[in-house]
Amino acid sequence: MSEPTAFSGGCQCGAVRFCAHDLNDDAHICHCRMCQKAVANAFISLVSVDTDRLEWTRGAATEFFSSAKTARGFCARCGTPLYMRDTDGTKVFLTIGAFDEPDRVPPRRQVGNEGRRAWFASLHALPGNATTEEAWPEGAAAIKASNRQHPDHDTEFWPPEGRIE
Amino acid sequence: MSDPDRLDIEMSGGCQCGAVRFHASALMANPHICHCRMCQKATGQLMVAAVGVREEHLVWTRGAPTIFMSSDYAERGFCPHCGTTLSFHFKGARHWAMAMGAFDEPWRIPIHFQIGTEGRHPALADLNGIRDAGTTEAADPAGAERIRLSSHQHPDHDTEFWP
Repeated sequence: MSEPTAFSGGCQCGAVRFCAHDLNDDAHICHCRMCQKAVANAFISLVSVDTDRLEWTRGAATEFFSSAKTARGFCARCGTPLYMRDTDGTKVFLTIGAFDEPDRVPPRRQVGNEGRRAWFASLHALPGNATTEEAWPEGAAAIKASNRQHPDHDTEFWPPEGRIE
Repeated sequence: MSDPDRLDIEMSGGCQCGAVRFHASALMANPHICHCRMCQKATGQLMVAAVGVREEHLVWTRGAPTIFMSSDYAERGFCPHCGTTLSFHFKGARHWAMAMGAFDEPWRIPIHFQIGTEGRHPALADLNGIRDAGTTEAADPAGAERIRLSSHQHPDHDTEFWP
């Protein structure tokens, strides 16, 4: 059987969910200062889907125009950054970490290298190889017991009854 | 006397649109990345980069983050206007973990360790080795100029009025 080509995903709280029926072969990271500040990270990770191959299966993102023709979508309820798009374009660039299975989407190219962190080259070699469970078992268990993160698959109803006040 | 748990780095920062701004008079000596699935999904990214700021060293100088409680313990702050990830705070803790890219001069902040490695994205093993497509200016000068001329991003310094 071949690998499924559809990719579902959404925000942390699950109020906004999407299905990309297939993806373009352009997964990348961008180090530019606008992408950095938009997601407050060292770099952004994105992959595009043609607009007509993208289905919003629950809710809708709120958009901020970071420049005249660039809209950045996020969940107004939990803040997860979900995409960026050019208003003249026919593609939406989804954030890879929002996918239910981000490991299926490896970035192959880096852009905006004027903003690259000096320590980026040594990311893989940073000290610390403990999992959350190993490093902090009681905290991991407590978080798991009251976790409000949407599961990494589509759900018929969300949130489960009584879960979110 | 120097405090081994403290980085003497003073810096402002905030979200992309500038509606929420903060000032840290010192950082904690714990700049790190977290690969855990909750940090990934909260930010839509491969990992989070964060550094602690003690409550006595942190002032929200404009606006305030909106909080989503990703569990009963964790408050995740973001800008309600532009969505920038800003902070992570354990209820009752005396410090906040601030998202590193929100600082105005993030290149001044080192990185010391990684956590949550159960969620490490396989691409992290050689992310530095993927194809280098150059700078924004070199790859797309017209696009870079168009964006620069209409950028709604808050500048990387404090402002008296904004926008």
